[in-house]
Amino acid sequence: MATTAPRRPHSGGGGGGGDRDRGDRQGQGGPGGGPGGKKKFFFRRKRVCKFCVEKLEYIDFKDVKMLQQFVPERGKILPRRISGTCALHQRKLQNAIKRARIVALIPFAAD
Amino acid sequence: MRTYEVLFILSPQVPEEEATALVTEFRGVAEKTGATLKTEEPWGRRRLAYPIHKFNEGNYHLFVFESDGSLAELDRRMRNSDRILRHIIVRTDLDLKRAEKLAKRNPKKERVRPAPAFTPEANAPEITPAAEEPAPA
Repeated sequence: MATTAPRRPHSGGGGGGGDRDRGDRQGQGGPGGGPGGKKKFFFRRKRVCKFCVEKLEYIDFKDVKMLQQFVPERGKILPRRISGTCALHQRKLQNAIKRARIVALIPFAAD
Repeated sequence: MRTYEVLFILSPQVPEEEATALVTEFRGVAEKTGATLKTEEPWGRRRLAYPIHKFNEGNYHLFVFESDGSLAELDRRMRNSDRILRHIIVRTDLDLKRAEKLAKRNPKKERVRPAPAFTPEANAPEITPAAEEPAPA
Protein backbone atom coordinates (compact mmCIF):
# COMPACT_ATOMS: atom_id res chain seq x y z
CA MET A 1 0.00 0.00 0.00
CA ALA A 2 2.58 2.42 1.09
CA THR A 3 4.62 2.08 -2.04
CA THR A 4 1.86 2.57 -4.58
CA ALA A 5 -0.24 5.23 -2.95
CA PRO A 6 1.41 8.52 -2.14
CA ARG A 7 0.11 10.23 0.91
CA ARG A 8 -0.65 13.48 -0.75
CA PRO A 9 -2.85 12.96 -3.75
CA HIS A 10 -1.22 15.68 -5.77
CA SER A 11 2.38 16.23 -5.07
CA GLY A 12 2.26 19.53 -6.91
CA GLY A 13 4.78 20.76 -9.41
CA GLY A 14 8.52 20.43 -9.20
CA GLY A 15 10.25 21.59 -6.07
CA GLY A 16 7.96 21.13 -3.17
CA GLY A 17 10.85 20.66 -0.79
CA GLY A 18 10.69 23.32 1.83
CA ASP A 19 7.36 25.04 1.69
CA ARG A 20 7.04 26.93 4.84
CA ASP A 21 3.40 26.60 5.69
CA ARG A 22 2.90 22.99 5.13
CA GLY A 23 2.15 22.62 8.78
CA ASP A 24 2.45 18.90 9.11
CA ARG A 25 5.77 18.93 10.84
CA GLN A 26 6.59 15.86 12.71
CA GLY A 27 9.57 16.99 14.70
CA GLN A 28 7.69 19.12 17.17
CA GLY A 29 6.57 16.43 19.49
CA GLY A 30 9.42 16.58 21.96
CA PRO A 31 9.11 17.96 25.46
CA GLY A 32 11.22 21.01 24.73
CA GLY A 33 9.15 21.61 21.64
CA GLY A 34 9.09 25.38 21.81
CA PRO A 35 6.50 28.05 22.46
CA GLY A 36 3.79 26.55 20.29
CA GLY A 37 3.87 23.26 22.08
CA LYS A 38 1.01 23.55 24.48
CA LYS A 39 -1.52 24.49 21.82
CA LYS A 40 -1.34 21.00 20.47
CA PHE A 41 -3.55 19.52 23.12
CA PHE A 42 -6.75 21.34 22.47
CA PHE A 43 -6.19 22.56 18.98
CA ARG A 44 -6.53 20.13 16.20
CA ARG A 45 -8.21 20.76 12.90
CA LYS A 46 -9.08 18.22 10.35
CA ARG A 47 -6.57 19.03 7.73
CA VAL A 48 -7.61 17.63 4.42
CA CYS A 49 -7.56 19.38 1.13
CA LYS A 50 -11.15 20.17 0.28
CA PHE A 51 -10.46 20.07 -3.43
CA CYS A 52 -8.73 16.74 -3.30
CA VAL A 53 -11.53 15.21 -1.30
CA GLU A 54 -14.29 16.55 -3.49
CA LYS A 55 -12.29 16.05 -6.66
CA LEU A 56 -12.75 19.59 -7.77
CA GLU A 57 -9.85 19.99 -10.10
CA TYR A 58 -10.87 23.26 -11.69
CA ILE A 59 -11.22 26.21 -9.37
CA ASP A 60 -13.45 28.79 -10.93
CA PHE A 61 -12.87 32.44 -10.12
CA LYS A 62 -16.56 33.14 -10.61
CA ASP A 63 -17.65 30.80 -7.85
CA VAL A 64 -17.81 33.40 -5.13
CA LYS A 65 -19.47 31.22 -2.56
CA MET A 66 -16.78 28.63 -2.76
CA LEU A 67 -13.96 31.16 -2.75
CA GLN A 68 -15.37 32.95 0.23
CA GLN A 69 -14.72 29.94 2.39
CA PHE A 70 -11.05 30.66 1.89
CA VAL A 71 -11.27 34.39 2.41
CA PRO A 72 -12.01 35.21 6.02
CA GLU A 73 -13.47 38.50 7.18
CA ARG A 74 -10.38 40.54 6.73
CA GLY A 75 -10.18 39.63 3.08
CA LYS A 76 -6.88 37.80 3.25
CA ILE A 77 -6.35 34.45 1.62
CA LEU A 78 -6.52 31.71 4.21
CA PRO A 79 -3.10 30.10 4.50
CA ARG A 80 -3.00 26.46 3.82
CA ARG A 81 -1.37 25.85 7.14
CA ILE A 82 -4.86 26.52 8.46
CA SER A 83 -7.16 25.41 5.67
CA GLY A 84 -5.24 22.25 4.92
CA THR A 85 -5.41 22.76 1.19
CA CYS A 86 -2.69 20.96 -0.71
CA ALA A 87 -0.02 22.95 -2.49
CA LEU A 88 -1.38 22.42 -5.96
CA HIS A 89 -4.87 23.47 -5.08
CA GLN A 90 -3.76 26.34 -2.90
CA ARG A 91 -1.94 27.74 -5.88
CA LYS A 92 -4.97 27.42 -8.09
CA LEU A 93 -7.17 28.82 -5.39
CA GLN A 94 -4.85 31.75 -5.01
CA ASN A 95 -5.08 32.54 -8.70
CA ALA A 96 -8.84 32.25 -8.62
CA ILE A 97 -9.13 34.57 -5.64
CA LYS A 98 -6.88 37.12 -7.24
CA ARG A 99 -8.93 37.05 -10.40
CA ALA A 100 -12.13 37.40 -8.44
CA ARG A 101 -10.66 40.41 -6.70
CA ILE A 102 -9.98 42.14 -10.00
CA VAL A 103 -13.62 42.04 -10.96
CA ALA A 104 -14.80 43.06 -7.50
CA LEU A 105 -16.37 39.76 -6.58
CA ILE A 106 -14.20 39.53 -3.51
CA PRO A 107 -12.64 42.42 -1.61
CA PHE A 108 -8.93 43.08 -1.62
CA ALA A 109 -9.17 44.14 1.97
CA ALA A 110 -12.08 44.56 4.31
CA ASP A 111 -12.30 45.89 7.81
CA MET B 1 -9.25 26.02 -30.29
CA ARG B 2 -9.07 28.12 -27.21
CA THR B 3 -11.80 28.91 -24.77
CA TYR B 4 -12.01 32.31 -23.19
CA GLU B 5 -14.18 33.61 -20.44
CA VAL B 6 -14.89 37.28 -20.60
CA LEU B 7 -16.42 38.86 -17.56
CA PHE B 8 -17.07 42.55 -17.48
CA ILE B 9 -18.87 45.08 -15.33
CA LEU B 10 -20.93 47.76 -16.97
CA SER B 11 -21.43 50.99 -15.14
CA PRO B 12 -24.73 51.10 -13.29
CA GLN B 13 -25.44 54.47 -14.86
CA VAL B 14 -25.81 52.98 -18.31
CA PRO B 15 -29.51 52.64 -19.12
CA GLU B 16 -30.79 49.26 -20.05
CA GLU B 17 -31.22 49.71 -23.80
CA GLU B 18 -27.73 51.07 -24.08
CA ALA B 19 -26.39 48.21 -22.01
CA THR B 20 -27.87 45.60 -24.31
CA ALA B 21 -26.57 47.55 -27.29
CA LEU B 22 -23.10 47.58 -25.79
CA VAL B 23 -23.25 43.89 -25.07
CA THR B 24 -24.18 43.07 -28.64
CA GLU B 25 -21.50 45.43 -29.86
CA PHE B 26 -18.82 43.66 -27.84
CA ARG B 27 -20.06 40.33 -28.98
CA GLY B 28 -19.83 41.56 -32.55
CA VAL B 29 -16.28 42.72 -32.01
CA ALA B 30 -15.27 39.31 -30.77
CA GLU B 31 -17.08 37.48 -33.52
CA LYS B 32 -15.43 39.65 -36.13
CA THR B 33 -12.05 38.45 -34.93
CA GLY B 34 -13.02 34.85 -35.40
CA ALA B 35 -14.51 33.95 -32.05
CA THR B 36 -17.73 32.05 -31.63
CA LEU B 37 -19.95 32.61 -28.68
CA LYS B 38 -20.53 29.53 -26.61
CA THR B 39 -22.52 30.83 -23.69
CA GLU B 40 -23.68 34.16 -22.50
CA GLU B 41 -24.77 34.88 -18.99
CA PRO B 42 -26.13 38.18 -17.83
CA TRP B 43 -25.62 38.27 -14.10
CA GLY B 44 -27.44 41.53 -13.77
CA ARG B 45 -26.84 44.02 -11.03
CA ARG B 46 -24.53 42.93 -8.30
CA ARG B 47 -22.96 44.65 -5.40
CA LEU B 48 -19.29 45.31 -5.90
CA ALA B 49 -16.95 44.05 -3.24
CA TYR B 50 -15.33 47.46 -3.19
CA PRO B 51 -16.33 50.74 -4.82
CA ILE B 52 -15.05 51.37 -8.34
CA HIS B 53 -15.28 54.97 -9.54
CA LYS B 54 -17.51 55.60 -6.56
CA PHE B 55 -20.05 53.06 -7.72
CA ASN B 56 -21.15 50.40 -5.32
CA GLU B 57 -23.01 48.34 -7.87
CA GLY B 58 -22.28 47.05 -11.28
CA ASN B 59 -23.96 45.27 -14.12
CA TYR B 60 -22.12 42.01 -14.64
CA HIS B 61 -22.08 40.12 -17.87
CA LEU B 62 -20.27 36.96 -18.86
CA PHE B 63 -19.29 35.66 -22.27
CA VAL B 64 -17.65 32.38 -23.08
CA PHE B 65 -15.96 32.40 -26.46
CA GLU B 66 -14.18 29.83 -28.49
CA SER B 67 -11.55 31.14 -30.79
CA ASP B 68 -8.43 30.23 -32.67
CA GLY B 69 -6.99 33.68 -32.38
CA SER B 70 -6.80 36.06 -29.52
CA LEU B 71 -9.34 38.46 -28.15
CA ALA B 72 -6.92 41.34 -28.17
CA GLU B 73 -9.27 43.61 -30.06
CA LEU B 74 -12.09 42.99 -27.60
CA ASP B 75 -9.71 43.56 -24.75
CA ARG B 76 -8.61 46.86 -26.24
CA ARG B 77 -12.15 48.01 -26.85
CA MET B 78 -13.18 47.12 -23.35
CA ARG B 79 -10.26 48.92 -21.86
CA ASN B 80 -11.08 52.05 -23.79
CA SER B 81 -14.76 52.04 -23.07
CA ASP B 82 -15.72 54.27 -20.20
CA ARG B 83 -18.91 52.31 -19.70
CA ILE B 84 -16.98 49.33 -18.47
CA LEU B 85 -15.77 49.48 -14.93
CA ARG B 86 -13.74 46.31 -15.05
CA HIS B 87 -13.24 43.41 -17.35
CA ILE B 88 -11.25 40.24 -17.27
CA ILE B 89 -10.46 37.77 -20.00
CA VAL B 90 -9.32 34.36 -18.88
CA ARG B 91 -8.26 31.48 -21.05
CA THR B 92 -9.74 28.36 -19.57
CA ASP B 93 -9.30 25.48 -22.01
CA LEU B 94 -5.87 24.45 -20.76
CA ASP B 95 -6.90 24.44 -17.13
CA LEU B 96 -10.10 22.59 -17.86
CA LYS B 97 -8.29 20.01 -19.91
CA ARG B 98 -5.77 19.53 -17.16
CA ALA B 99 -8.54 19.25 -14.60
CA GLU B 100 -10.25 16.63 -16.69
CA LYS B 101 -7.07 14.64 -16.94
CA LEU B 102 -6.53 14.82 -13.21
CA ALA B 103 -10.09 13.80 -12.56
CA LYS B 104 -9.62 10.81 -14.79
CA ARG B 105 -6.41 9.84 -13.11
CA ASN B 106 -7.89 10.11 -9.64
CA PRO B 107 -11.48 9.03 -10.06
CA LYS B 108 -13.70 9.73 -7.17
CA LYS B 109 -13.48 6.94 -4.71
CA GLU B 110 -14.74 6.51 -1.24
CA ARG B 111 -12.23 7.50 1.30
CA VAL B 112 -11.94 4.38 3.31
CA ARG B 113 -9.27 4.48 5.87
CA PRO B 114 -7.34 1.30 5.41
CA ALA B 115 -7.13 -0.78 8.49
CA PRO B 116 -3.64 -0.91 9.92
CA ALA B 117 -1.95 -3.53 7.90
CA PHE B 118 -0.54 -6.43 9.82
CA THR B 119 1.08 -7.94 6.81
CA PRO B 120 2.35 -5.25 4.53
CA GLU B 121 3.16 -7.73 1.75
CA ALA B 122 -0.44 -8.76 1.51
CA ASN B 123 -1.51 -5.22 0.72
CA ALA B 124 1.25 -4.37 -1.64
CA PRO B 125 0.10 -5.95 -4.91
CA GLU B 126 -3.39 -4.67 -4.48
CA ILE B 127 -3.81 -2.36 -7.41
CA THR B 128 -7.46 -1.74 -7.87
CA PRO B 129 -8.46 -0.72 -11.35
CA ALA B 130 -10.35 2.51 -11.27
CA ALA B 131 -13.91 1.37 -11.41
CA GLU B 132 -15.92 4.44 -10.76
CA GLU B 133 -16.76 7.23 -13.08
CA PRO B 134 -14.80 10.44 -12.73
CA ALA B 135 -16.60 13.13 -10.84
CA PRO B 136 -19.02 15.10 -12.95
CA ALA B 137 -17.54 18.54 -13.03
